[in-house]
Amino acid sequence: MATVNGMRGVSRVPAYVVMQPTTLCNLDCVYCYLPLRAQDRRMTVEVARAVAADANAWAALDRFSVVWHGGEPLAAGREHLGALMAPFGPAVEQHVQTNATLLDDAWCEFFAARGVRVSVSVDGPEELNTSRVSRAGRPAYDRIAQGIAALRRHGRSFAALCVVGDPRPGVAARLYEYFLELGCDTLGINIEEREGVNERPNSHDPESVRAFWAELVVAWRADPRIHVRELEWSLRYLGAVLDGTSGDLLPGELDPIPTVGHDGAVVLLSPELAGFHDPVHGDFSSGNVLDTPLSSVLAEPRRTSWVPEFLTGVEACRDTCAYFGFCGGGHAANRYFEHGRFDGTQTEHCRNSKINLLEGVLDHVRRP
Amino acid sequence: MSDALDDRIRDARGELAPLLEEARLARLARSEAPGADSVCAWNHFENIW
Repeated sequence: MATVNGMRGVSRVPAYVVMQPTTLCNLDCVYCYLPLRAQDRRMTVEVARAVAADANAWAALDRFSVVWHGGEPLAAGREHLGALMAPFGPAVEQHVQTNATLLDDAWCEFFAARGVRVSVSVDGPEELNTSRVSRAGRPAYDRIAQGIAALRRHGRSFAALCVVGDPRPGVAARLYEYFLELGCDTLGINIEEREGVNERPNSHDPESVRAFWAELVVAWRADPRIHVRELEWSLRYLGAVLDGTSGDLLPGELDPIPTVGHDGAVVLLSPELAGFHDPVHGDFSSGNVLDTPLSSVLAEPRRTSWVPEFLTGVEACRDTCAYFGFCGGGHAANRYFEHGRFDGTQTEHCRNSKINLLEGVLDHVRRP
Repeated sequence: MSDALDDRIRDARGELAPLLEEARLARLARSEAPGADSVCAWNHFENIW
């Protein structure tokens, strides 16, 4: 059996930092995990400057990204988001994840001027996009489509993120056809997760989930223009097993994935934990960039009360799960919100998005 | 413990080969597209190494 060498401990240097320019979102999607999305708590430029001091240094050494995430980053407005982006030097790659409803010509020009890479959240065609709604509960699809049309009008390449609430045969082919027409160059597919304030159950019939992923492979093979994250990594893993290199597919250490909240608080490893409170672990934060440099916060991840418990969980996955070399261990937020603790192992998210993904791809190739 | 899974994957080598070759060619085609950055993060924050 291949010994999985990676995912031992937490790296002191991240590949990217997630920034929350505002907690506000102008949508109220049914499955959203964010607790403060109805409030407009904005990041100050002082917080951005503090993060940029380390980010600029990291970018001088290796590829480094800043991801403006939510809330809805565009809800901060161009003037404020521009002021937050300004301290980051040209070597830092900038990304934004947006619900697309506020995208217009002015935003496209704003992103073009700064080289910002855009990813839009859309769950497929209108009939599959019903969970994405306004604060008044009205479907957001038309506004999303208008925003994406602006990106295309400006010739901007973009990625897409799709949440699937009911993975079953018939859905994947329709989704892939839609995203081909949409024109995204990259696609990530998330099976809806039970986390944060979203407590909807996420247990699905495994046969249906496997059939969903198998059908996606069929659709992708017919026209593989889109870089589909889930298929890319499934095929990389399967190829690595055949080559005898699967033990080295994952990075040596976990990326700390620091999320810097609107107030400068830093949450490691799972951005979905930001904004929540636990009787034992408090607000899950590891420090605040307003009083401690981000690089110093990242220097001792085990000082954060829940991180050692999480790393115990990663080792439990390594010891007990056949899929560890593919997955690298369940995410901290999925463990916490599904099990109530960080050292549990297999989650519904593991089953939906890792185990049955790989099995679905195998089902596809073994089909007579 | 992953022996059984690895064995099943190896048993499917013949069926996997054309799919893996298609993936390689698709990767190559994407890398040669205008403006392409010649990979998605995995086991990371999934809402966006």
